[in-house]
Amino acid sequence: MTLRLPTGGLIDRSKPLTFTFDGKPHTGYAGDTIASALLASGTRILGRSFKYHRPRGLWGAWVDEPNAIMNVTLDGHEFPNCLATTTYLQGGMAARAVNTWPSARFDMKAGLDLFHRWFAAGFYYKTFMWPDWHLFEPLIRRMAGLGAVSPDHLDTYTSDQTHDRCDTLVIGGGPAGLAAAEAAAQSGQDTLLIDDHAQLGGTAHQLPQIDATPTADWIAQRQSAIEAAGGRILTHTTAFGIYDHGLVGLAQNGPFGTAPRLIRLRAARIILATGAIDRPLTFANNDRPGIMAVAAAAEYLARYATLPGRQIALLANTPQADTLAAQLTQAGAQVTHVDPAQSPLSARGGKRLKALQAGDRTHPADTILASGGLTPLVHLWRHAGGSLAWCDRRNAFLPGTPPDNMTATGAANGSFETDEALEHARATGQNTPAKRPDPKHHITPHWPAPGSKGRQWIDFQHDVTLKDVELAARENYTSVEHLKRYTTLGMASDQGKTSNMPGLAAMAAIQGRPIPEVGTTTFRPPFVPVPIEMYHGAHTKQLWNPLKRLALEPQHRAAGAALGEYGGWLRPGWYGKGDPVQQAQTEALMARQTAAIFDASPLGKIEVMGPEAEAFVNFIYYNTIATLKPGKIRYGFMLTEGGAVFDDGVIARLDANRFVISCSSSHVDSVRTHLEAWRQDGNDPDRIFIHDTTQHWATLTVTGPRARAILDTLDLDTDDFPHMSLRETSWQDTPLRLARVSFTGDTSFELSIRASKAPALWSALLDAAKPLDAGPIGVEALSILRAEKGFLMIGKDTDGETMPHDLGFTAPRQKKSTPFVGDRSLHTDKANAPDRKQLVGLTVPAGAPPLPTGAHVVTDDEIPRSLGYVTSSYLSPTLGRPIALALLENGTDRMGDTITAWHLGETRQATVTAPCALDPEGARLDA
Amino acid sequence: MRDDTALWDAPRNPATPISLGPARLTPVHLTRQTLVSGPNVLQQTDLPLVDWPGAAPSDAYAAILRRDRLLLVNAPETPDGWNDTTQQATSDVTDAYTVFDLTGDALPLLGRGAEITPDIPSRSTARQLFGLGVFLYRMEDAKTYRLHVPRAHAEALVTHFEKAASHG
Amino acid sequence: MQIFTCPFCGPRDEREFHFAAEAGKTRPDTTRQIDPETWATYLHAQRNDKGRTREVWMHLPCSELFLMERDSVTMEVFSTHPLRKEPQ
Repeated sequence: MTLRLPTGGLIDRSKPLTFTFDGKPHTGYAGDTIASALLASGTRILGRSFKYHRPRGLWGAWVDEPNAIMNVTLDGHEFPNCLATTTYLQGGMAARAVNTWPSARFDMKAGLDLFHRWFAAGFYYKTFMWPDWHLFEPLIRRMAGLGAVSPDHLDTYTSDQTHDRCDTLVIGGGPAGLAAAEAAAQSGQDTLLIDDHAQLGGTAHQLPQIDATPTADWIAQRQSAIEAAGGRILTHTTAFGIYDHGLVGLAQNGPFGTAPRLIRLRAARIILATGAIDRPLTFANNDRPGIMAVAAAAEYLARYATLPGRQIALLANTPQADTLAAQLTQAGAQVTHVDPAQSPLSARGGKRLKALQAGDRTHPADTILASGGLTPLVHLWRHAGGSLAWCDRRNAFLPGTPPDNMTATGAANGSFETDEALEHARATGQNTPAKRPDPKHHITPHWPAPGSKGRQWIDFQHDVTLKDVELAARENYTSVEHLKRYTTLGMASDQGKTSNMPGLAAMAAIQGRPIPEVGTTTFRPPFVPVPIEMYHGAHTKQLWNPLKRLALEPQHRAAGAALGEYGGWLRPGWYGKGDPVQQAQTEALMARQTAAIFDASPLGKIEVMGPEAEAFVNFIYYNTIATLKPGKIRYGFMLTEGGAVFDDGVIARLDANRFVISCSSSHVDSVRTHLEAWRQDGNDPDRIFIHDTTQHWATLTVTGPRARAILDTLDLDTDDFPHMSLRETSWQDTPLRLARVSFTGDTSFELSIRASKAPALWSALLDAAKPLDAGPIGVEALSILRAEKGFLMIGKDTDGETMPHDLGFTAPRQKKSTPFVGDRSLHTDKANAPDRKQLVGLTVPAGAPPLPTGAHVVTDDEIPRSLGYVTSSYLSPTLGRPIALALLENGTDRMGDTITAWHLGETRQATVTAPCALDPEGARLDA
Repeated sequence: MRDDTALWDAPRNPATPISLGPARLTPVHLTRQTLVSGPNVLQQTDLPLVDWPGAAPSDAYAAILRRDRLLLVNAPETPDGWNDTTQQATSDVTDAYTVFDLTGDALPLLGRGAEITPDIPSRSTARQLFGLGVFLYRMEDAKTYRLHVPRAHAEALVTHFEKAASHG
Repeated sequence: MQIFTCPFCGPRDEREFHFAAEAGKTRPDTTRQIDPETWATYLHAQRNDKGRTREVWMHLPCSELFLMERDSVTMEVFSTHPLRKEPQ
């Protein structure tokens, strides 16, 4: 039975489109939505409700539709949770109602509805508490939820993100929006008009003419006038949120299956012309398929030339309903007016509506058109912080005190009559103050009646009934915010567009309070569901948190490096394709036996210069730096003001007024910011300057007993060059900074050269290393080498409470006389406590494997207590046994003690030692 | 210990122009980039000062980074370190920043990386684009946009531009 | 998304800024005896005002540290000033 009319509407009858719904073939036209095409074909059941699996039809015609949610497959890709009323039809679409199996019409879970008495609000909270929610959760989660994501298209499903601005943004392209945008553009404002439909006009299409002009011509004239005055128009575009400082989030929809574009729009002024939606009437079985909003029926008739049914009971007393009744009658439908004040009201029939029962009268009907009055769409107004004012005559919340730079007009402002709306809109567009017109009609309130019989739906999508609201009130969830969370009213994907007003009116009636006193829940973005892709845009995968790339990455790749993230940089973990653990062992052993080349480029190179540079670094460092001589290097800590170790590394003095801070690789950005903050706050920023030159340089470390032999091939001057010295020299006519520092305990040289020269230096060092059986090592081998020496890694062997004296560096705490960051915090009760965790080494019995990193050292009490934990643990290829570092309570007093380490239920024994396991005398340093 | 090599495309170190639909990103080789800071550095330089949107000449100029810091482009070489006479700190940062010229229909691409318009000037050329720190200004032709990006993030910036251009 | 005005660079997107501290704290002179309460107050006590606030923020691209007066409820920004004196 087709409900399509032979003429009229915005559809293109020359372009029929075939599609399927729940496997059954259907035909629609270009310009249809999936919903309008199904309605026209006489399909009544378009979905099932979330909880009870009740059959549902169309209530709305656009974003307020709660029921018709579908998974749509097109060109082999499935897109979940498409609202059938806003999804424009394309040929070849296969739509399937969510929440149903095998189809919306025959749903296996429909039996759930028989048990509805058990499923009242709070059912899950009350029922599945004992013995444990987690026991029930998997099954409940399987039953819940809407569509399923099919991952195959996600790779190409990426949102564009862009920024835009304008003087005046007009949201909504209905009669008021068009008039406002035209007036704004013609008064010289840079104007942007947006509408979420494919075509401008809004409710104008329901009118035969406007301003004595045929509607289609009137819309076209406004559009031309706006564009002629320099205004811009975006259709298919939804303003989904208003954010701080006039920022509007726009979602611009492209072809079906593509992610919408996010436009972050900065508008100096916003005109809200978003219109109004119908609210449902609350009566028994008011969720039956065939019960539709008056405003929706008007849209289906005007845009899609489709009747809502043939035998219609019109349950409304608004002027809009009278207009519609005339149109429907003219189009051939049989319309019966029924006064909603009659009681009781109930819908008769199951999957197919049979009648409307009103008092003792039965009105046969295949369709009921209902309206409890219009509700202005004030979501964006509330996002922006505008207040709402209750209007007794309209029975609705209207825009009250405006937020900055926002004006509402048209139906969004409570002007439901076109002529008066247009006048107000034009004035608003010109930015002249205009008073809200008084309504011509007084709407008789028809709110939910607590205590009345039958199952009466408040929230269609989440299956919340009047009885659930009554239950919530009995259990003292009377605040609308509590009501919402207890019953999930308004928490479905339609976010309560149809349910919030009846819900809060029901609560008001139960408590005998006026509606404005009960108030509304908070309106939050997004106004309609938008895909999460829109929020992250291109910031995903390699661009989510782009790692810093080494100048020598091509060389490392060529050498077979296994790359990984280390402190924000993509670095070689090891070289070669063998077992990673074994590769690291081999590399560490090579470094001890001959020599190793290591790319240390990420190490910080932050220069501190100026007449007060010395005093400044002395203040920033825990250690005394003022006594450092030019050409010399010192190891030290930076602390937080709370006394915790923030960074460690070496600082070199190049001359009286110039220092280079070599902070740890992962900390360059944070150390630079830390220095800048102290420079400008509490110091003279005209006498201290901080240059982060890290990325100008590449740094290569040569370490091991044969390091000097490799270095000699470069012909650098290394005479009289002891450990912890720095020299500025040159190689191949390029400045080169040569430093003697060691993170391995072996003789080491750090060579820093401008990044563009790094490949040449890398090749020269490797060429020299090869005959000595030396070569490159990655971060994993270096981690072993430094652990053998008990050298710590910040954040690995320290935590947020570690202070320098916990690491054995006690002198400045006791002796440094000048102020430094964190100084006072090193003398608090906490800092002096006898049970501080201190860095120690752990050895395991002969033949035992390495301790697990993260294992806890525990007491032998009946209920063990943690004394600390293993921070680093490796097999030392040089010592031929496991080594470990740990932070251990009062660890320095436990030297030689046997402790118990616990990990995942297993315990191990270990002996507490000094952190340094290899060459404690330091003989290898100058070997 | 995880080998993530396959998750990261090898950097291209581009030497030739990259087509970005209606725009084009061309690597620029500058002879020298020098960081100069000092209490009066903006008044002291003889080079033309460049701000946002700016109009940088093709030879030597000074891009303003902060109230007390400039990036000298193609300026004569001066010794690194603190100069007591001029009260200036100098560092050679030629290899610290990769430089590109963005030509063609550039503004729509830039608008994807930042809320930016030439109509709102700024004294500094330093800003964030696609979340990456850059120096950004126009050349004298008022059509070419020049970008300096920290070398280690050059690949990320190029990829961002390519993604932005793919949306047309 | 807010717009903050860096005293040097002018108006910029909030993503370029970082909150540093509430304004008005002075570091105690640590060369003298400081009782634990004074130090703890300096380290940890925050006013967390509802309404008009004075805060120190950093504009990351140019590293300017500045004072910002703003309303923590309405997000209105009243003024921004460099933490140091503007050079003459």
